Amino acid sequence: MCDVCGCGQHDHEHEHSHFVVSDDTTKKNVEIKKSLFSENDRVARSNREHFDRHGILAINLISSPGSGKTTLLEKTIEALKDELKIGVLEGDIETERDAERVRAKGAAAVQLTTGGACHLEAPLVHKGFHALEKQMEGYPDILFIENVGNLVCPSSFYLGEHIRVVLISVPEGEDKPAKYPKAFKTSDVFIITKSDLLPYFDFDVEKVKKEALSLNPNLKIFVVSAKTGEGLDEWFNFLREKVQEKKAAKVEG
Amino acid sequence: MHETSLAMGLLDSLNQMAEREKAKKVLKVRVKIGKLSGIVVDSFVFAFNALKEQFPKLAGAELIVEETPTLYRCRACGHEFEVETVFFPECPKCGSVDLELLSGEELEVVDAEIEV
Ligand SMILES: Nc1nc2c(ncn2[C@@H]2O[C@H](COP(=O)(O)OP(=O)(O)O)[C@@H](O)[C@H]2O)c(=O)[nH]1
Ligand SMILES: [Mg+2]
Ligand SMILES: [Zn+2]
Ligand SMILES: [Zn+2]
Ligand SMILES: [Zn+2]
Ligand SMILES: [Zn+2]
Repeated sequence: MCDVCGCGQHDHEHEHSHFVVSDDTTKKNVEIKKSLFSENDRVARSNREHFDRHGILAINLISSPGSGKTTLLEKTIEALKDELKIGVLEGDIETERDAERVRAKGAAAVQLTTGGACHLEAPLVHKGFHALEKQMEGYPDILFIENVGNLVCPSSFYLGEHIRVVLISVPEGEDKPAKYPKAFKTSDVFIITKSDLLPYFDFDVEKVKKEALSLNPNLKIFVVSAKTGEGLDEWFNFLREKVQEKKAAKVEG
Repeated sequence: MHETSLAMGLLDSLNQMAEREKAKKVLKVRVKIGKLSGIVVDSFVFAFNALKEQFPKLAGAELIVEETPTLYRCRACGHEFEVETVFFPECPKCGSVDLELLSGEELEVVDAEIEV
């Protein structure tokens, strides 16, 4: 099992304090120099170790509400459920039925209760993952984490994922990469969704791709439609390939 | 947005530090917040002050926030410049977009003053 909740071994980060000034005997200045995210990041690293130990590929999906995260998950589960075990942690608060929607397609899913928060944090993912392990009586090959619908906060919180995916749907407009640079800089994959709507919107795919790549040259980009199926095979193949890489790394490790 | 949870995390870690140092109380804590960090400083301070009462050793702690500017260095011509916007700029001297961010994303607890 894992560390954070005391269910396994854990390298505790030992804290050292550095005393800088000590002008009088009762007052001391303690140097801290720690990121405000350090506790989240510590738990995220432990999540990541946990995923790695079981050869699980973890994917964090971030987008504005309604960009098509859950719909893409539904399509992905339909297509891959016979070859891969899929688990979903559902953090979206837009619709309470997102966990039910993916369960109906045949994946294990746990709804995370964020209490109205605008993003997921690593400790909640840790807790949710244990619930998912119980539900599955084992481990998934792919763990999808559907983040809260929000393009700002989730980019600041590492959850322990191997791949971060940012999604923009065609109706949202082509200025999104410029408006949310952090989401693009911290992601590995960019998916343009609802491509079936391209004829009805001013959305220059090449221009958006170029802009996204100028923020992050390593982005892998997909253009998909859950409605027509365009681009979905490329996405599925990408997932198959990444799962294989993960399994191979586990065998070697 | 997530100012409350960050403030709570800060209070938790200060409280642990106070225990470790056997401090009677924490007097001051200094944090650096960059303009690009996405944190609304007023909300963060508000949350800190609202939540600190829960921790006896922190109830009187003063939060000092240093806001750091968004500073870039141009890799093409070496020019360093500050911007006010959160959008990715170009170099005002040569127009290049090959820029290195020098500061602006900080979200760091620098130090604290404690009474022992
Ligand atoms: N036209 C079109 N609509 C889509 C597509 N994908 C999702 N939608 C619609 O967009 C809405 C929001 O989708 P959902 O998956 O719930 O978004 P989420 O909030 O990101 O999880 C729903 O009404 C979907 O039917 C697509 O590829 N094309
Ligand atoms: Mg959803
Ligand atoms: Zn486990
Ligand atoms: Zn655990
Ligand atoms: Zn947030
Ligand atoms: Zn320049």
